[in-house]
Amino acid sequence: MTNELAPASQVFVMDSSFWVATTLFFVALAIIVSEKIHKTIVAVFAASLMIIFKIVHQHEAFHVEELGVDWNVVFLLINMMIIINLMRPTGFFEYVAIKSAKAGRGEPMRIMIIFSVVTAVLSALLDNVTTVLLLAPVVLLISDALEIDPVPFLIVQALAANIGGTATLIGDPPNIMIASKAGLSFMDFIYHLAPAVLVMMGVFLLVIKMFFGKKLKTREELKERIMSMNELDAIKDPTMIRKSLFVLGVVLAGFALHGIFHYQPATIAFFGAGLLLLISGTENPEKVLAEVEWPTIFFFIGLFIMVGGIVKVGFVGLLSGKMLELTQGNLFATSMTLLWFSAFASAIVDNIPYVATMNPLVIDMAKQLWPHETGMALLQHPDLMPIWWSLALGACLGGNGSPIGASANVIVVATAEKAGRKISFMRFVAYGLPVMILTVAISMVYVWLRYYVLQI
Amino acid sequence: MKAKDIMELVTCDYMCLMPDETIKEAVNKFRRTKLEHYHEGVKGLPVMDEAGDLVGMVAVKDILRAVVPTYMTKALSEFTWEGWLDASVKKVGDTKVKEIMTTHLITVSEDAPLMECANLFLQYNLQRLPVKNNEGRLVGVIYLRNIYYAIVRILLDEENGHDQ
Repeated sequence: MTNELAPASQVFVMDSSFWVATTLFFVALAIIVSEKIHKTIVAVFAASLMIIFKIVHQHEAFHVEELGVDWNVVFLLINMMIIINLMRPTGFFEYVAIKSAKAGRGEPMRIMIIFSVVTAVLSALLDNVTTVLLLAPVVLLISDALEIDPVPFLIVQALAANIGGTATLIGDPPNIMIASKAGLSFMDFIYHLAPAVLVMMGVFLLVIKMFFGKKLKTREELKERIMSMNELDAIKDPTMIRKSLFVLGVVLAGFALHGIFHYQPATIAFFGAGLLLLISGTENPEKVLAEVEWPTIFFFIGLFIMVGGIVKVGFVGLLSGKMLELTQGNLFATSMTLLWFSAFASAIVDNIPYVATMNPLVIDMAKQLWPHETGMALLQHPDLMPIWWSLALGACLGGNGSPIGASANVIVVATAEKAGRKISFMRFVAYGLPVMILTVAISMVYVWLRYYVLQI
Repeated sequence: MKAKDIMELVTCDYMCLMPDETIKEAVNKFRRTKLEHYHEGVKGLPVMDEAGDLVGMVAVKDILRAVVPTYMTKALSEFTWEGWLDASVKKVGDTKVKEIMTTHLITVSEDAPLMECANLFLQYNLQRLPVKNNEGRLVGVIYLRNIYYAIVRILLDEENGHDQ
């Protein structure tokens, strides 16, 4: 697995633009991490400065994938948001949640397990933010009905969302970004990450059963409150549920087959959004489109250009060279380091800017290792694949390490606080960090066993 | 006519709440407050601090917000149980006014023309509008009813004029 170190693919000088771009990037990143100014505003302004200072030219920022906006990611996100926004008011999510609680027969432990599985599956197929946003209120309702503490339920739900989201291309933004950069398909993620996630979920459920099994208790008469709920009452628009489930089915089938038909995932999502808008019969596309999370979209756009700046001036190349030096070109060591480093980095900073920076770094590293390869032969070099999977696993699962590690966590903490149940930073960490370490350890064994021992 | 001509006068010990009063006390004041000329009982009062400055408003909706859990959404409307409201009301009875009051306030100057007041009611979907004097101190509250009666007076007087 050890490779000869090749000379850096690009020669660069540490001229003034190198320092301007690097300073701009890290000052912006520091402000984003400090949360003093909204991250979208920082990213957009810093990106505009990268162009104003002529670090990257506008053409590169908007039209060159290596140095600017990855429109595949942007359009995949926008279109999935449109589909989900049309689905949200139908009551489908609430229906599923109430039905799950009844399937658990009002027994808190059983409900916690079923909710974790449902959350993980919905997070894998839709996105974890929406899943948690719509399911957290039901968790609070069920806890009030059963007169139990909702906090463990909520934290477990956020953790399950992040684990579930790791399994698919669309489950978590890091995966969307990695897929686009490395040209990986939906089925690649299912084939390579889903088995690991299944093992993790099994272990996770076992752990919560062991940990909470005895603690979660309720009275028989309170269970009746749950059992007397009629989940069909949640459904506000049955026709729209059928339409959106149909489109979701089409989109998921499209994702499963996009590699075969040579469509990009964004194309599939674009088609799905267009189709659902058409058959929903909405006369008010303004409202649906206005509900797209534009701050998130512009955060991505800004970040891509910011990262483009440090790629162009050679900073990322410098880093990747250092990383190879550190692991002496041993790719097993590189992937293990990347896995753990990504996990801890993603627990502390947003995993989106982290992956946006790491993607070009991995590509640059590949260029140094295999200077004669180009295109897909380079991006999907057999020896590079475990590196991509380690990055994805580390970045997605690292989100569980702290309440600010992933958007789902932020939403759960905010929902709980609004309902008067404050979840302190340390309380989240007390649950999240052990789960993060456990799941990353499972990933480590998985990557090692699958790609370096069995080599399948 | 101006805002001050139709408003209800507010004084510190009458027609107003203190931030540290409880919901229970607030509700009691709502019930006892008499509006000049019209009616007994109000559904909202301004909140003044020790210095006599307007710091917020509390209305029935704010009390509902305290009683109904924040996580309840439209989709969850049907999923409640018998006795939940009673339990929740008893729980929030001692919550302080300052914790539930609305602090983003739309106010109007006492010399504002009535059209300005009427427009504010419409634009912000108000039920009551605090009135301030030139020094910025709270002097009164216009209830939706006050402005409605002002309209009624104009309308009926005019019609009488035509009839005669």
